[in-house]
Amino acid sequence: MAIKSGRQGQVKLGVDEATATAVASLHNWTLSLATEMIEVTCFLDTNKVYVPGMRDISGTIGGFWNSEELAVIEATDDETPLHMVLIPNISEATFIFSGLAYVSAEIEVPVNGAPTLSGTFSGAGPWDLPTAALMAARAERQRSR
Amino acid sequence: MPPDSSAIDDALLAVLAGDATLSGLLPDGVWFDQAPANARQFVLVSLFHAADQGTFGQRAIEDALYLVKAVSFNTSPATVLAAAARIDAVLEDVALTVAGMTSMAVYREQRIRYPEVDAIDPSILWQHCGGHYRVQVSVNGA
Repeated sequence: MAIKSGRQGQVKLGVDEATATAVASLHNWTLSLATEMIEVTCFLDTNKVYVPGMRDISGTIGGFWNSEELAVIEATDDETPLHMVLIPNISEATFIFSGLAYVSAEIEVPVNGAPTLSGTFSGAGPWDLPTAALMAARAERQRSR
Repeated sequence: MPPDSSAIDDALLAVLAGDATLSGLLPDGVWFDQAPANARQFVLVSLFHAADQGTFGQRAIEDALYLVKAVSFNTSPATVLAAAARIDAVLEDVALTVAGMTSMAVYREQRIRYPEVDAIDPSILWQHCGGHYRVQVSVNGA
């Protein structure tokens, strides 16, 4: 395990994880795992107090517009959510984030540059996080203390 | 393996060298960076700046700025003015043929025009006229 370049990142889309295929011409993705915080501040508390609610799944993808790669555009018209797989680095196969998502897209065409494609997605079902790998890393840290 | 980027330079030179009108105006050829010592009327191409843009796993776009100018040993700028206009007609929006890449855009960003007194013989005047040309290509399969 180490810090690795995002150059070998990847985004896949498909009807399920097994058949999801890599989307070409992308160079960026983000995944937000922000957890909703519910305020439970009471009388005499000295500061606001929160408890965690439900985790939200959302994020963005970005790249270049490529007329031979329409997977993201097609995904915006799907009534059923697609399976999205987000990979920080393809050399670390156990670290993937995947699940059902609805996708929106935006195209920007500047006069002096390459047209870009960007998109947002929202979770549409349970997502799989690299739980086993995260637990192994946590156990390793605890052993080393 | 990504395609050879110098093929972009070669494609630009080939388009200019292949134009009969330009060759008629500047018969001493099209050269990259430096012309031969005996050349008096020629086209000079230089790479000013180049930047790559990547996608996951590979290079996707090469964006380069070239200086392309007509150079003539002449007291009058008439020849280089005509040649620069021809360079612009040839290059603006031309689709370059580059192995492993697809031409995206070729266009002028800035024009240039200036006389130069010869460093050795001050009685000799060189005329320069042309422009800075933006060349953008995408790597096939990116």
